[in-house]
Amino acid sequence: MKSYKRYITLCLLAVSAVGLPACNKKLEVAPGSYIVPDQVKTESDVRAELLGAYSNLQHYDAYGERAILIPELLSDEGELSFEGTFLTYRQYQDKAQLKTSAIAEGIWQRGFKTINNVNIVLSNLNLVSKDNKTAIEAEAKFVRGLMYFNLCNLFGKPYSAGAVTTNLAIPLILDPIIAQEDLQKGYQPRATVDAVHKQIVADLVFATTNLGETNEKGRANKYAAYAILSRVYMAEGLYDKAAIAANEVIKSDAFALTSTFDKAFNNGLNSSEDIFAIQQTNQSNAGTVNNGLQTFYAGYDFGSRGDIIIDLDKIPAYEPDDVRGSFFYENYGLAVDDGFYTGKWKEQYKVIPVVRLAEMYLTRAESNLRAGTTVGAEPLDDINLVRERSHATALAAVTADIAVAERIRELAFEGDKLWTYKRLKKSVGAFTYTDNKLVLPIPQRETDVNTKLTQNPGY
Amino acid sequence: MLRFYSLMGMLLFLCTMSYAQSKQISGRVTDQKDGSSLPGVTVKVKGTNAGTVTTPDGTYKLDVPAEGTSIIFSFVGYSDQEIVIGNQKTINVILSTGNKDLSEVVVVGYGTQNKRDLTGAVSKISAKEIENQPVVSFESAIQGKTPGVVIESGSGKVGQGIKVRIRGTSSISASSQPLYVVDGMPVNSTSNTDVNNDPTNPMADINPNDIESIEVLKDASAAAIYGARASNGVILITTKKGKSGEKTRLELNANAGWGKPTQKRGFLNAKEYVTLLEERAVNDGKTAFATKDPRFPFPTEAASIAYFKKRVEDEFTSLTLGKDFNNLGYSTNWEDASFRNTAHSQQLDLSATGGTDKTKFYVSGFYNNQEAVVINNKFVRYGGRLNLEHAATDKVSFGMNVNVSRSQLDRISNDNTFSTPSQLVAQSPLSPLYDSTGAINNNTLYPNGLFDAQFNSNRQVTFRTLGNVFLNYKILPTLSFRSELGADISSLTEDQFIGVQSSDAFGKGGGLSNYTQDVALNTNNYFTFTPNLGADHLFSATAGMSYLQDDFSTTQVSGELFPSDIIKKLVAAASITFGNSTAQRYTFLSYFGRANYAYKGKYLASVSLRGDGSSRFGPNKRYGAFPAGSLGWVASEEGFLKDNKTLNFLKFRVSYGTTGNAEIGENRYLTLLEPTAYPLLPGYRPRQMGNPDLKWEKTKQFDVGLEFGLFNNRLSGEVDYYNKQTSDLLLQANLPYTTGYDFQYLNIGNMENKGVEIMLNSVNIDTRHFKWNTSLNLAYNKNRVKDIKGQIIESTSGEQRAVEGQPIGVFYMAKFAGVDPQTGNALYIDGSGKPNADFSQAERMVVGKSTPDWTGGFTNTFSGYGFDLSVFFSFVQGNDIYNRAAIYQDNGFASGYDNQLRDVLNRWQKPGDITNVPRLSRYYSDGASDNSSRWLFDGSYIRLKSLTLGYSLPKSVINTLKISGLRVYVAGYNLWTKTKYNGDPEINSDVMGNIAGGIDYYTVPQAKQITLGLNVKF
Repeated sequence: MKSYKRYITLCLLAVSAVGLPACNKKLEVAPGSYIVPDQVKTESDVRAELLGAYSNLQHYDAYGERAILIPELLSDEGELSFEGTFLTYRQYQDKAQLKTSAIAEGIWQRGFKTINNVNIVLSNLNLVSKDNKTAIEAEAKFVRGLMYFNLCNLFGKPYSAGAVTTNLAIPLILDPIIAQEDLQKGYQPRATVDAVHKQIVADLVFATTNLGETNEKGRANKYAAYAILSRVYMAEGLYDKAAIAANEVIKSDAFALTSTFDKAFNNGLNSSEDIFAIQQTNQSNAGTVNNGLQTFYAGYDFGSRGDIIIDLDKIPAYEPDDVRGSFFYENYGLAVDDGFYTGKWKEQYKVIPVVRLAEMYLTRAESNLRAGTTVGAEPLDDINLVRERSHATALAAVTADIAVAERIRELAFEGDKLWTYKRLKKSVGAFTYTDNKLVLPIPQRETDVNTKLTQNPGY
Repeated sequence: MLRFYSLMGMLLFLCTMSYAQSKQISGRVTDQKDGSSLPGVTVKVKGTNAGTVTTPDGTYKLDVPAEGTSIIFSFVGYSDQEIVIGNQKTINVILSTGNKDLSEVVVVGYGTQNKRDLTGAVSKISAKEIENQPVVSFESAIQGKTPGVVIESGSGKVGQGIKVRIRGTSSISASSQPLYVVDGMPVNSTSNTDVNNDPTNPMADINPNDIESIEVLKDASAAAIYGARASNGVILITTKKGKSGEKTRLELNANAGWGKPTQKRGFLNAKEYVTLLEERAVNDGKTAFATKDPRFPFPTEAASIAYFKKRVEDEFTSLTLGKDFNNLGYSTNWEDASFRNTAHSQQLDLSATGGTDKTKFYVSGFYNNQEAVVINNKFVRYGGRLNLEHAATDKVSFGMNVNVSRSQLDRISNDNTFSTPSQLVAQSPLSPLYDSTGAINNNTLYPNGLFDAQFNSNRQVTFRTLGNVFLNYKILPTLSFRSELGADISSLTEDQFIGVQSSDAFGKGGGLSNYTQDVALNTNNYFTFTPNLGADHLFSATAGMSYLQDDFSTTQVSGELFPSDIIKKLVAAASITFGNSTAQRYTFLSYFGRANYAYKGKYLASVSLRGDGSSRFGPNKRYGAFPAGSLGWVASEEGFLKDNKTLNFLKFRVSYGTTGNAEIGENRYLTLLEPTAYPLLPGYRPRQMGNPDLKWEKTKQFDVGLEFGLFNNRLSGEVDYYNKQTSDLLLQANLPYTTGYDFQYLNIGNMENKGVEIMLNSVNIDTRHFKWNTSLNLAYNKNRVKDIKGQIIESTSGEQRAVEGQPIGVFYMAKFAGVDPQTGNALYIDGSGKPNADFSQAERMVVGKSTPDWTGGFTNTFSGYGFDLSVFFSFVQGNDIYNRAAIYQDNGFASGYDNQLRDVLNRWQKPGDITNVPRLSRYYSDGASDNSSRWLFDGSYIRLKSLTLGYSLPKSVINTLKISGLRVYVAGYNLWTKTKYNGDPEINSDVMGNIAGGIDYYTVPQAKQITLGLNVKF
């Protein structure tokens, strides 16, 4: 029994002497499913951070849904109707969105997450080899320019409204925020439309110069940057520059219009005319049940809610043989017994074109017409090229207004209409292009937490 | 570390002091009434300083000096006894007339104490109050039984998370659930289920009938030994054990129950539905014409009305599947369709307990099957427990307590889904249940949950092994060591299947498989030192360490495209749409010490200190120290009260101490990047902003209590006042999104809970044949968010928030100001404080609160002539309930065709009508679909929680049957309720929230149950 006792005493001492100090080390526990900033050490880590930004672009609060859907709902003149049960979407169609809208909040949130994401990439360029440094920098700046342009359009008055040096857009955050001491840099007032546009142009111009002509599938190349830049110039009324930017894309021959109109949509991989598109698969997408462009736009038989129906009497006028005019199908939805749906966002898990080559032709044509130039081609040829693909008759003459009408027909339900109307100072139904309700509210949550922010008029 | 060694050294030194001995007497002290052991009895040699107190099993050993001739046994509330020693070596004593409660052994952290010597606020609930209730988890059984412990099971669904608040909510962003400790081991009590559904309750893996007692540690003095995890109070669960020298006893418990919902709300029937929607059409037609609404341009009012009428009538035709809606001949009651006709439950368990001098055991096997009142929701649990202890020598004993169980929960989706059965009430009464072919009608307003229920399933199975092995080693008579090594292992699998034809499946079918493993290892090692300092001084000290390591991992896969509904596993899914696995660990390392001292059984003192370190905080602030101290005075032991005939017992106690909270999940102090999965392009993106200086949330609590016994202890009670001040709140503080992050955890702000708890027990009648006892518990708590530095922290759905100067969880929304008698429009208070029909001008403000003021319970038990009757009421007062579903079901058809509560029959119809229900309208009813206080109700209630009538067979019959006892009983639960709320008041859709509370969102009401049961002892 004695030895038993000694044995136990020894055990106790062993536990106390060896076990306990070892326990202190046990309090150092690394995150199991995340990394910390210090673990970003190599070029491939920085590259991974850059790729993370694409995941942000795919989010439904960005190009996975709302960056495209919300402007379309705002610019509705009867051609579509949100019939679903989500009242928050319906409010945008009714121009009755509130400053507490979760949608405006989400778009803002995802936008700035994306921006910080790429700002962090830009601050880690010292880890990248000399050969790849500029390309990574350019790609990060492309993402930043794209996202600033999206946010500036949605949360600020249009550039066309003038007063760009006083009209407020969104805060310009260009520094990375990754540690406690950086946080203060995120508390910024809204910068002017002018300041934001200058930054967008600077970022995108850098991207056009320094991005390669090709890139991995789904990633931006220099033509993606030119395409977005052409939109920025159009919004600024700089049609000469817009024509040149669009022409850079077209003349590269890196892209080609798809042989038929329908082939431009519902593709598993980028089509020949996708200049920049959001990649989706069954395992990586913007949502299939409560979110995602296709989730709302497609009928129930295509795995969707079928919430957005199209009124065929109110869509832009198409010629009888124009395939774009019949690019609709009858189906139903969770809250719809029977209705027509657009064929553009029909199938699940397909790439979401952000900018297509057809737009570049339309942009070049209209911009040339407005600038009085003929950069790249005659406007009439550009317009007819787009029309012929869809079996619309060739036009004999073209004006800027005709080019715009073609643009509305070609890009219907792709989120372009609102921006075209705004730059042309065209009213959306009863709402003038500068109407307060055609601008999103600064999310109440943001004005609550950052007192430097001012609310948009009308909220 | 240094602290630990020096403490150990000191203890060892003290142990070496011992006393001169001459003769040893031992024995056992028992109660005259029931022969049970009396621990804590003072045993003193007359005329000397020599003395001791009896151990928890009532035994004592006393060294009697040569001059000692007799021994005095004294115990609070009992008559003293003096026994002449003579030649006796064993003296067993029986004490009479007293308050047994005071000698009760109370389990405290890392030890036990006599209730009499306690200086902290501890409530004890015994097995009798937990056993044989038709509940899935023990928390439901103790609801309303203890003052200051507020228990809310959010709905009538079974197996769901249960909210437990001890002395109020003491945190905003961290969990406010108490720490659960089973047989000395902290256990996992947070849900591991699919985050997209309601949380489930891991405590349901424990069979309530295996529980011997539950101790609730409420004040700092009692709880601070659990330091960093004790701010929300601690619930100690002690399972049944065998006793030495106890004859082996078998016990069988069986019962069966039948349940129905406590309350149905009542919706419009088909005729009313048609009439009111026609009225809505007329209203809208008139308004559209009068306001020249550009959306509805009609030349005449009649044309406008005709248009709106046609629209609703087209919808009627569609809903009725083409029948004449004016002569329908039926009205579908969808509310009834969401409930079972009868919810059945069965419970069966068999246990054996016993012991010899050396070995004690308790073994049980259990089975429980409980259906919820709502369809498709059911809980089944079976398993077993073995508690064993063996004394190898008189110094060494060891044993194990182990529980193995399998819990199966058939689930329905959360309240915010179309397919959840309780949302069936939104369907139109015009829609038939079955179509012309006899199949379930799926051409309904919303996807028909009944239709989907045919194809869908969602089953969660948990295997739980919960247990520990322990070793006790008596190093010296005065010093013992205990080492415990425990494990809490749970494996949870969740299989969801959505049939191909189900509306949620979009024709594809869908499946999800979720596997979660949670393995917690815990070790406690501590010394207990009880030197013999003579009869006047009772001292004990405990010191030790504890380490907890929890590894949590998940694997989740989902897929779609199933060929048919036959195979419900993902093997049949043609497309895997999601798959990942995650892992995370957390650790706690703690050192603790406590000393208790009592002088002459009347002056009591206790101090404790715990130091905690946790992986949840960064190296800067990893450790925290949590001290507490308390004093007690048993005034009734003083000379001037000693023989008072009226006042038999009087004790004052006061305590103060600090406890902590760290329940914020893992990695909160770190800035994190998360992996992303853009197709074929793996990446990282920022996820969380860290805070390297994040530290423990601290609660300082002051408690003063009074315990008394009057009239031969026929009336006894306890009153406590407490003041809990929480500081350094672990606050999930919003960051501007422009930082790229959503929030950051900061230690900012203060919150307080102040309150009073009253517990009264009265023996009204106590004769040989008839007894009547009454027990009342009552608690008042006032919570106040003192300062959160202007942070706006809302509940997920935004109706509630933390507001400085207000109790947590105030409802913050537009204030409804009635209906304009002229127009029938709803009015809301605007920014200038005036009623305004424009909802966009309505000011959000504090309109109510979800936390109650008063809570409590009232029990009467009667027994005599073999019968026993217990009547238990519980009540809650001062809280509000918000019917969030009312923006669809009580909005005057503003959102379309959702069926409406019968309240809508009181709607405004013509100028001059005085009512609180606005005009019916689809297009012109501002605010009808927005949150406002229009649907906020007083949530106070009193409920006949249980009523039990039992009959025990008389001795003569039992002897004939050769059994030792047989009792049959019938019990009713939730039989009667009084409340102003139009629905079951015991609901809370977002059950685990701190800020969210009192939300009814198509929530399933509680069950009203009848059970029949049998208890046999062999």
